[in-house]
Amino acid sequence: MAKKTFKGRPLLPGKLEGEALVSKQPFNTTASYFDNMFAGVTDSAPCTDSDNKDLFRKDISNCIMCTSQTIGSTFGGAALMGVAEMGVGPRAMLFSRHIDSIISAGLFMEDIWNEKRIITIDLLGDEFLEAVNTGDPIAIHEDGTVEVG
Amino acid sequence: MKRRKFVKTVTLSTLLPAGLSIPAGNVLAGSSPDGGKGAFRPTVEGPSGGSQPAGKAPDWVRSLRDSDMDGLGPDGKPVPGYSATGTGHARKNVDPAKPHQMELTREEQDILDGKQGEAKAKVMKTVVMFGNAFGATKLVDLGGAPHSSVFNAPPFMKSIIDVFSQCADEGLKSYAPFTVNPRPFDLYNVETQPDEMAMVFEGYPLQPQLDYTLMRIGARGMNSRSCACYLSEIGNAPPPETYVAWAESSAVNFGNSVLGLRTNRYAGGMELLCALIGKAPYFGLMTDEGRMATWLIDVRTTKAPDWGVLGAAIGMKVVEDVPFIVGVDQYFGGEVTKENMHLLKAMGSSTAANGAVGLYHVENVTPDAKKLGRKLLAKNYKTYVVDDAEIQRIYDNYPNLWSKKDGKPTRCFIGCPHNTYQEIYNWGTMVTEELKRRGQDKVKVPMHLFCSIPVRNHLLDEHPVLVRDMKRAGMNFTNMCALMFTGLKGFTEKENAVTNSNKARKYSSSRYFPDDILLEIVMTGEIPKNV
Repeated sequence: MAKKTFKGRPLLPGKLEGEALVSKQPFNTTASYFDNMFAGVTDSAPCTDSDNKDLFRKDISNCIMCTSQTIGSTFGGAALMGVAEMGVGPRAMLFSRHIDSIISAGLFMEDIWNEKRIITIDLLGDEFLEAVNTGDPIAIHEDGTVEVG
Repeated sequence: MKRRKFVKTVTLSTLLPAGLSIPAGNVLAGSSPDGGKGAFRPTVEGPSGGSQPAGKAPDWVRSLRDSDMDGLGPDGKPVPGYSATGTGHARKNVDPAKPHQMELTREEQDILDGKQGEAKAKVMKTVVMFGNAFGATKLVDLGGAPHSSVFNAPPFMKSIIDVFSQCADEGLKSYAPFTVNPRPFDLYNVETQPDEMAMVFEGYPLQPQLDYTLMRIGARGMNSRSCACYLSEIGNAPPPETYVAWAESSAVNFGNSVLGLRTNRYAGGMELLCALIGKAPYFGLMTDEGRMATWLIDVRTTKAPDWGVLGAAIGMKVVEDVPFIVGVDQYFGGEVTKENMHLLKAMGSSTAANGAVGLYHVENVTPDAKKLGRKLLAKNYKTYVVDDAEIQRIYDNYPNLWSKKDGKPTRCFIGCPHNTYQEIYNWGTMVTEELKRRGQDKVKVPMHLFCSIPVRNHLLDEHPVLVRDMKRAGMNFTNMCALMFTGLKGFTEKENAVTNSNKARKYSSSRYFPDDILLEIVMTGEIPKNV
């Protein structure tokens, strides 16, 4: 596939290459990590959000998550910190739209208080989410540039 | 997959700081509404009781699935193009190529540089980073007192609790004693049976740690626990235009709109970080520009609207924009009073739960609207007309989420957010008089009245005989969070709840009914045929 480049806002910058994991609909953080938060699963992160047709039952651990925004319970930030503590949180969060208050609280606190960086870029544009598909090679650069393909 | 035992090995006593026991509730004739013989018996599996099958999340976490900003429409499906920052302020035209940096004072920079300790530097860094992400221009000093929604402690809350324990260890404290949302359980009046208690202890093993940590950083006592912190009995109602950093969507919504406070919507402990430095990022609903209304809501109902459904209609329409509501001022007589404030509480909390509304204006009623009138309408505002047909359309679309669709109601939940004095007085009078009229002794559906302990005590002081009659009639007072109760394991399978709260409807399987129908339901134990 032809390489496409997108420029976003690097809120928690970093450099990373890997495969994209895509949720075309907003990602419900709390609903996705129930098995990690409440069922003692610690070596993977099976997505438990049955409303998410892209990710339900897929292992979302250590992923490069590409989505529009996050949604759901105000526990979302704490949930993210919890899975990051287990070592099964995302490696990067790439948002096509503006970051929201709930996930940002978790991402920033995890970065500052637990010194675990989850690379975070927002405002990549709706075209980014239209272009990227699960399994696509993806390269993230420090300046917020994301290459897909 | 590796599995850990879910909380099995954690005993409550090991989590308690020395000298502490489980905090005692303020008990009023403590008993479950049915004397402990009711239908609610959560499934208990495993020898320790309450542990779920290995590797499967327990049923009671279902209530955590949805909350504000779930991006779902009335049909439960994702709304195409849904977008909300959750701060109550939809940001547009942000240039990702231009990093934003707010201005800091010398003192703030010193704190950031660690001159007042490592923990305070981390607090400042987190708050500044958060503010920069949302375009804040500066930090402002906070007044009044904070309100926090960090209120329940399942195991995954450990990281958050650790953050605030570290702050407490370094002696950081909120700039003023703060209020906190209700606890997620009530072992004295609701979960009184061993199997129910097991679920509480195993579901919230870190609760004592959290309560202890909150106390260390400045939380007020247990009797002030309420999501309706602004009621006079609790007293967290700062003067208009005070800058605060509140969490709890319904409190933010009421504080901004009815009290005239200036706060954005916070979540995940960010409100407590702001409290620890006494400052918050200045953006969104704190600013004059951010408080301008981009929607005119023209209410044309032929009688007082169903306030919960009206709020739902507005929330789903505007998501997190600011609405200016006209056509309802006649129901308030020009003033928000202790007698009518619950109408705005019901409507506002519903806008916050069904959308992500952090501020609304009501013409001739709320303080900003009284001061500025329709000058609050932004250029190119949009209009949404709500009439009787629209209210009915929204109401008719509510799904029946009971496990047995044609089952009989087993619980009635009144008040989410927590009831005002006027509400519990109204319900007490309404139910006891109707029972008398029908020659009945008790309601046929146990009723839970969710309110803070001071509000309940207020009723006890003013109308002790009524409180006695309410208890005898099967009306149970509790200061817990209604939503956490409906999320308990086994609840959905065994209970058919009805409620007067559109917020509770949104976040649980409870069915929503107007007050007159609810009264009929609790009297007869049946859902009326024509509903």
